[in-house]
Amino acid sequence: MRYRNPKIPEGINVSPGHPLRELALLAGAAILLIVILAFLLGQFGGRLARLLPFEHEAAIAPVELLNSDAGPALQGYIDALADRLTQRMELPEDMRISLRVDGGETFNAFATLGGNVLLYRGLLEALPHENALAMLLAHEIAHVAHRDPIVGIGRGAAVQLVFGLLFGDPNLAVLGSAGLYTQLHFSRAMERSADSAALAAVHGLYGHVAGARDLFNTIQAERVRSGSGEPPAVFNSHPLDQKRIEALDLLASERQWSRIGEVTPLPATFGRWLDEAAAASKDRSAH
Amino acid sequence: MYNLILFLVLLTLGYAVGQYAERRHYRSILEREEKYSGLPAIASKYPPQQPHYGQALVTGSTVVSVDYFKRFLAALRNLFGGRVTAYESLLDRARRESLLRMKQQAAALGADMVFNVKYETASISKGNGNTIGSIEVLAYGTALIAPPAR
Repeated sequence: MRYRNPKIPEGINVSPGHPLRELALLAGAAILLIVILAFLLGQFGGRLARLLPFEHEAAIAPVELLNSDAGPALQGYIDALADRLTQRMELPEDMRISLRVDGGETFNAFATLGGNVLLYRGLLEALPHENALAMLLAHEIAHVAHRDPIVGIGRGAAVQLVFGLLFGDPNLAVLGSAGLYTQLHFSRAMERSADSAALAAVHGLYGHVAGARDLFNTIQAERVRSGSGEPPAVFNSHPLDQKRIEALDLLASERQWSRIGEVTPLPATFGRWLDEAAAASKDRSAH
Repeated sequence: MYNLILFLVLLTLGYAVGQYAERRHYRSILEREEKYSGLPAIASKYPPQQPHYGQALVTGSTVVSVDYFKRFLAALRNLFGGRVTAYESLLDRARRESLLRMKQQAAALGADMVFNVKYETASISKGNGNTIGSIEVLAYGTALIAPPAR
């Protein structure tokens, strides 16, 4: 008997196929899975957060981070304007809006937990008339009315918590107040619906929507002026200004709201009030 | 962020070095398989009775571990199931290398062939959680050494 080892063809015990192809396929599928999981978690967290009564939301609001540099005159003016708007916005009984002005140069405004709305002097200064200010206030109040801040935090927290537990390093600081403050991300759908509600309130107040879109023109102008191409911080996640303006125009024509009308000027002393707020802000940071 | 960069560097490095080493290894395997083709390794338990061969245990052992790239690929595979192709070539190389080492030993003894060849594997990092898996592939058999011609 002759014994021999015949030559066996290559590639029988090894599957063909490029490893990079396999990597692309598997990593792609894993990323898709994670994205879907994050989305579902976000939805779940948001729904859960919405169930939190508003009074409890007020209790966890990061009040220490929200200073007001507004003098009594400015505060009285914006409070009165906000009151006139909220009367037309069907806020729940227990919901209270607290407006605060920060004297800093930041070009920004945002709504956060507990009905707190923070307006920065940088943005207020750039507004051309009261109608644009009303649009801004109504937009932020609409966020509060829609419970967007707590829903946004609920979404972020659910995603962070579960992914933290899955991949180690659960960043539980997200549940502290500093986390609440920085975790605010509103989705585009939230922005759109806040825009619509705001436009309705502005229409209810003035009987027309003239000047409302000037808010977005102002934001866009600032974007061009700052030149960095970087949008102002809080408008990061906002839909593109142009698309928002188009959506508002469409809404106005659908509801047959007049886009022509007389805009109400800001009080003559508005600029001085803001200067006072700026001074108050400097004082505060000096101490 | 640094973790991500480190991860990508390790992945790229693992891929580049791993692929290079694998190609080189396969070249050497094919070369040596050709060289030892005259020294068959036979699985049969029953060696020829004539002539009266001298017998000796010969072994060849290889310990292999995975590169970072293959480990990552296999971990991803764990999510979805299916053939862990990343490890297939690695183990194929280990088996063939072990057999070649065994044949090398047999050749050094002046054997004509090796009978009753068997493989064994042992996981070295078994149960050690996060350590990189490495396994030993052992090939062994009975070398048949022809008696000196009279």
